[in-house]
Amino acid sequence: MTQWLEPLWAGLGTAGFAFLFNLRGKDLPIVALGGALGWAVSMPILAATESQAFAYLVASMVIGIWAEVVAAVRRRPASVYIICAIIPLVPGAGMYYTMLEYVRGNNWNGLATGLATLLAAGSIAVGLAVSSAVSRLISLRSIARRLSSPRRKPTIENKGKYSQQSIRRGDKKNLSASQESRH
Amino acid sequence: MDDALLLAADAARVMLESGGETYRAEDVAVAVASSLGGAEAECYATPTGVTLSFVGIDGRVHSIIKRIKRRAMHLERIALVDKLARDLVAGEKDFESASTELDRIERLPGLKVAYSCAAAAIGAGFFTLLFHGMWNDALVAAAAGIVVSRFPPVMARRQMPDFFTNLFAAAVGAFLCLGGKELGLVANADAAVIGMLMLLVPGVAVTNAIRDTIAGDLVAGVARGADALLAAVAISVGAGATYQLWRLLSGGALP
Repeated sequence: MTQWLEPLWAGLGTAGFAFLFNLRGKDLPIVALGGALGWAVSMPILAATESQAFAYLVASMVIGIWAEVVAAVRRRPASVYIICAIIPLVPGAGMYYTMLEYVRGNNWNGLATGLATLLAAGSIAVGLAVSSAVSRLISLRSIARRLSSPRRKPTIENKGKYSQQSIRRGDKKNLSASQESRH
Repeated sequence: MDDALLLAADAARVMLESGGETYRAEDVAVAVASSLGGAEAECYATPTGVTLSFVGIDGRVHSIIKRIKRRAMHLERIALVDKLARDLVAGEKDFESASTELDRIERLPGLKVAYSCAAAAIGAGFFTLLFHGMWNDALVAAAAGIVVSRFPPVMARRQMPDFFTNLFAAAVGAFLCLGGKELGLVANADAAVIGMLMLLVPGVAVTNAIRDTIAGDLVAGVARGADALLAAVAISVGAGATYQLWRLLSGGALP
C-alpha cells in the first residue's frame, strides 16, 4: 500500500475507535484528523531517525498541543481528544512482535522488542505530559481557570481554622458568593 | 448536605467508571462539593474507589466512600460530567438541575450492538491497512474484530475478570486470523492479527498510567500500570497460546 495513504488509514481507524469509546457527532471527524496528524508527524521522523521512541515523542507532543487547542475551542476536556488521537501510535504492533519472538523461542529478541515497545509507550506519555505542561504555562484560559478554581477559594480564615465558628462563617461566605454569581 | 455529598461523590464515580483521569475525578468532586456549600472539600480517588469529605454548613464533617468496580471507556460521559462541574462552579446550575443532569448522564445509552460491531470492524480493518496489510487482510481482521469486540460486554455480564476476557478474546481473534490465512483469505497474517489486537491492547491505559504518575497521583498511576501490564500479559498469552497450538497442529510451521 502506498505510504501517503497511511495517515488516512490512521484517521479512519481512530474514528472507529472513538465511536467505540462512545464519542459522537462533530468530535468524530475532529479526532480522525488528530489521529491522521499524529501519524503524519511520526512518519518522516521515523524515516529520518529510525528511532520509534523519538518519533512517537514528537508526534504525541504535537497531538497534545493540538488537543489543547481543540479542547479550548470545543470547551471539552483535552483528554477526550488525546485518548482518541494517540491510538494509532499505541504500540500494538510492538506487543505483537514481542509475543511472536517468544513463541519462536527467540527470548533475547523478545526481550529487546518488549523493551522497545515499553520505551515507545513511555515516550508517548512523556510527550503528552510535556505538551500539557507547556500549554498550562502559556494558556490564558487555564490560568483563569486556576484562579477561579474552587480549591483556591479561601473559605476559611487562618485564624482559628478549626473552630466551628470560623468554619460556619467561611461556609456562609462561600454559599452567598455562589448565590451571588448565580443571579 | 448529604445530598450534596452523594452528588459530588457520584460525579467522581461516573467520571472514573467512564475512564476519566484520576485528578479530573478529584477536581470534579471537590468542585461540586464546594459549589454546593461544602468547605475544606478533599477528595482522594484511585481507579478503584473515591473518598470524599467536606465540612458542611452545619459545621460537621461529612464523608463518603464510593467503590468503583467496572470501568469502560465512555468519552461522552467524561465531557458531560466535566461540563456539569464547570456549570455548578459558574453558578449556571443548582443542586436540582445538576442531580437530574448527572442522572441523565449515567443513563446515557451505550452503543447498540450493531454500531459497536461496525466501529470495531472499522477500527480493526483500517489499522490492518496501516500496518501494511492488504484489503483482504483488512476484511478478515474486521470480521475477527467484530467477534473480539463482543467479548467484553458478554464476559462482563458473567462477572468474568478482565484478565480472562482479554485472554480468550486474543486467543479467539488470533485463531480467526490464522484460520483466514489457512483458507487463503489472508496474505499478511501479522497485519491482520495486529489490527485485531489493537482493539484489546491497553495502550491508552499504559499512557494514562504514566501520565497519572507524572501528575503526582502515584497510587493511581501504579495501580493503572499494573492493570495495563496484566492486560498486556493476558493478550500475549492468549494470542501466543493460539500460535503455539497452530504450530503444533501444522507440524512446526509458524504463520
